[in-house]
Amino acid sequence: MPMVLLKCDSDIPERQKHIYLKGPNEDSTEFLPVANAPTIPGTLSERGCAFCGAKLVIGGVLKDTIQMIHGPLGCAYDTWHTKRYPTDNGHFNMKYVWSTDMKESHVVFGGEKRLEQSMHEAFDEMPEIKRMIVYTTCPTALIGDDVKAVARKVMKDRPDVDVFTVECPGFAGVSQSKGHHVLNIGWINEKVATLEPEITSEYTMNFIGDFNIQGDTQLLQTYWDRLGIQVIAHFTGNGTYDALRGMHRAQLNVVNCARSSGYIANELKKQYGIPRLDIDSWGFNYMAEGIRKICAFFGIEEKGEALIADEYTKWKPKLDWYKERLQGKKMAIWTGGPRLWHWTKSVEDDLGIQVVAMSSKFGHEEDFEKVIARGQEGTYYIDDGNELEFFEILDLVKPDVVFTGPRVGELIKKLHIPYVNGHGYHNGPYMGFEGFVNLARDTYNAVYNPLRHLAGVDIRDANPVALPVKIREAA
Amino acid sequence: MSDCNCEVAENKPAEVKLVPRERAGIINPMYDCQPAGAQYAGIGVKDCIPLVHGGQGCTMFVRLLFAQHFKENFDVASTSLHEDSAVFGGVKRVEQGVMVLAQRYPNLRVIPIITTCSTEIIGDDIEGTIRLCQRALAEAFPGRTIHLAPVHTPSFKGSHVSGYAECMKSMVKTIAKKGEPTGKLNVFPGWVNPGDVMLLKEYLSKMEVDATVFMDTEDFDSPMLPGKTIETHGRTTVEDIEDSANAIGSLSLARYESGSTTKLLADQFSVPDYPVDTPYGIANTDAMLRKISEITGKPIPESLVRERGIALDALADLAHMFFANKKVAIFGHPDLVFGLAKFCMEVELEPVLLLIGDDQGNKYKKDPRIAELKAAADFDIEIVHNADLWELETRIKKGLKLDLIMGHSKGRYVAIDANIPMVRVGFPTFDRAGLYRKPTMGYKGAMELAETIANTIFAHMEYTRNKEWILNTW
Repeated sequence: MPMVLLKCDSDIPERQKHIYLKGPNEDSTEFLPVANAPTIPGTLSERGCAFCGAKLVIGGVLKDTIQMIHGPLGCAYDTWHTKRYPTDNGHFNMKYVWSTDMKESHVVFGGEKRLEQSMHEAFDEMPEIKRMIVYTTCPTALIGDDVKAVARKVMKDRPDVDVFTVECPGFAGVSQSKGHHVLNIGWINEKVATLEPEITSEYTMNFIGDFNIQGDTQLLQTYWDRLGIQVIAHFTGNGTYDALRGMHRAQLNVVNCARSSGYIANELKKQYGIPRLDIDSWGFNYMAEGIRKICAFFGIEEKGEALIADEYTKWKPKLDWYKERLQGKKMAIWTGGPRLWHWTKSVEDDLGIQVVAMSSKFGHEEDFEKVIARGQEGTYYIDDGNELEFFEILDLVKPDVVFTGPRVGELIKKLHIPYVNGHGYHNGPYMGFEGFVNLARDTYNAVYNPLRHLAGVDIRDANPVALPVKIREAA
Repeated sequence: MSDCNCEVAENKPAEVKLVPRERAGIINPMYDCQPAGAQYAGIGVKDCIPLVHGGQGCTMFVRLLFAQHFKENFDVASTSLHEDSAVFGGVKRVEQGVMVLAQRYPNLRVIPIITTCSTEIIGDDIEGTIRLCQRALAEAFPGRTIHLAPVHTPSFKGSHVSGYAECMKSMVKTIAKKGEPTGKLNVFPGWVNPGDVMLLKEYLSKMEVDATVFMDTEDFDSPMLPGKTIETHGRTTVEDIEDSANAIGSLSLARYESGSTTKLLADQFSVPDYPVDTPYGIANTDAMLRKISEITGKPIPESLVRERGIALDALADLAHMFFANKKVAIFGHPDLVFGLAKFCMEVELEPVLLLIGDDQGNKYKKDPRIAELKAAADFDIEIVHNADLWELETRIKKGLKLDLIMGHSKGRYVAIDANIPMVRVGFPTFDRAGLYRKPTMGYKGAMELAETIANTIFAHMEYTRNKEWILNTW
């Protein structure tokens, strides 16, 4: 089946190139949605900006780093209190945000002095913190402030601090994806190999593209500890600035989120010859496969098998309890990009769920190649979906649950469709074996939520239909 | 209760001082930027989708913020500004955005076009573009009127407070038109929750005053219905805004949020402007009701006298037993902070630290409510303007003793880390359930707020085992 022109898109027919309905025996060599292309103004797209791709998604995760945002206060305010990435040091990264509070006079006369002063103040106010990332924003990029020069000056004045600069204003690129790229490339070129890590194991790796959403990183870390593998750097979940400077010493780069962080893995391969291994960390089959691959690389297969067997004994019965009750349920996934291809087959294989529609905010064509290869026939694959398209698709596929963000979740609640937070999770972590049981539990609770069924009841109706019964026994 | 402050009283008059934030940079902002406030004003209008001219983040995060606070979705569009616009100008994207919205949303009647820092620096001619858009709309949709309001809200000026005021003013300026007198009263409450809008409507109805509240956000708390209709949008219609020019007067309840709009209605359409202090607490509410009565000639009904009495009765149970001499910090919108400071003093709480954001230092100096606090306070008050939340955090770290913090959810970790009870007020309050539905204004709001304060302090006494036994017999 070819590309789809939805009714709501009759006035913007170019949207047809972005929406694909997979037909029998088709693959992405025949049809591939156009992706990573500019959004049509006024369509109510879900996309964010390049600045947030750098600050909110990657840099702001670090647990020991001041995030200095050079611009008006809004860019700081908006990228604060919007993520669930805890740390093991009291969530410094979620508590604070810094702005140079740029005003009109700085637009006119330049904001470099303001930036320099704000940087010194931040280090003075928090003397225990010695690391900083400086971000430009739309206005500071437009007026051309030289933030690199300011950073050099501050580092000269304060020899014990280290500062990294990220220059990707919100208008750069077409989505947050641009910001991921800028930060990745900047870091490898400017900061990797500026500090030697302490090696404590004969097996070392970097774990790349995992941001410790509700403790994902910390859960997976228990596996690496049991396998005796040293993670030199987490890029960037529960991570530190200095650990990321030592990425060049790992023997292996394990990549979870290829979209946000594949760039740095590629560069580490190119510049330092470190092999890249992509894994999926969501789902039993995938997680086991990932652990097997990592262990095969280090020649510790037996340890890996023992870990997997332990975890299966502990968690598989719980997963299967949910699988029995979720079999045949229909799911839609509206998230950033990679979670489409991470999840579509894992929920199908591990939980018997059919993914009937997927929309990506910032995925590229290669993400769609992956998801179309893994996804089902009769499923919609949408690039940069917008609100009216969502309504139409929901009507076509009638999902039992949607994995998406809280705002869209609030919208579809009115349609009696439950959502599970596909960004920050409901009650995670969702990675690893235990995590996927959490995902299954949250999905079950959503699908069998009594309230949404009650919402469909009109109390004026004399003969209401029976409501489904939720089984509340422990899994 | 907590330690008695029984040291020998110093013989000096109370000092109320206004000081600015001394640092250049901000650590933990109290307010968002102007375009965010403009979007909040825009969503209060029915059949309106604001179009934000800037990067996509300027819209996406603000929609998320509204969703966090209200647990609802609101429609706001973006022109999705990219590099080419930064070089060649972005007005084409405004034109395209307006046409796409008009095509895909056939009921759309208002589009505020909200600028951001980037498009103000680029210098896009919004007024000129609106003229082009209106020509294109007339051609494509003959007979259909879509109001396009230019809203200039560069993020490097003001804050979401001034952005709200600017968008409100621009929409009224664009849409209001002189016609037959309506006999109605305009009521501009400023940036408040649906709970306050509902309370004001109830009071006006009890006084039998025909009035329009701008913006009527009652449906920001919207139902799940069997028919699956989505009713999450403002109730203020184009006709309501048109007729704001034909009212008997405008009651402005928020100096910094509604004052500029009521002044515009006075200057341009000769609608008398009646500013009053934001009605938080008993005395402020009294003054508002008296003013309404004076404007309309309608008496204050018995039902409100009784409601006032019930509130006073409830407050009297709490004030000198539990609240007296408790030291409070309040942060948030200036109209809220000044109003709550006065309310605190009515119930014997001591608002010793007030934090108001924004670069309106000179304006704040002239605010008569500061002089009023000076006259009334028998304790020292520090008012920090241009404040961020680090001003609060560092004062606590340096030894300021507080019994209570009142403010919005962005300050939650200051309270959590210092183990100080905190009552959520203002915007946003995403870490507490259902607050948008509850009034803070009026007698009822004062009573409910005081009870929330009391229950928060009680829970804290129990949790910290601090004389929790006092409540054994209350």
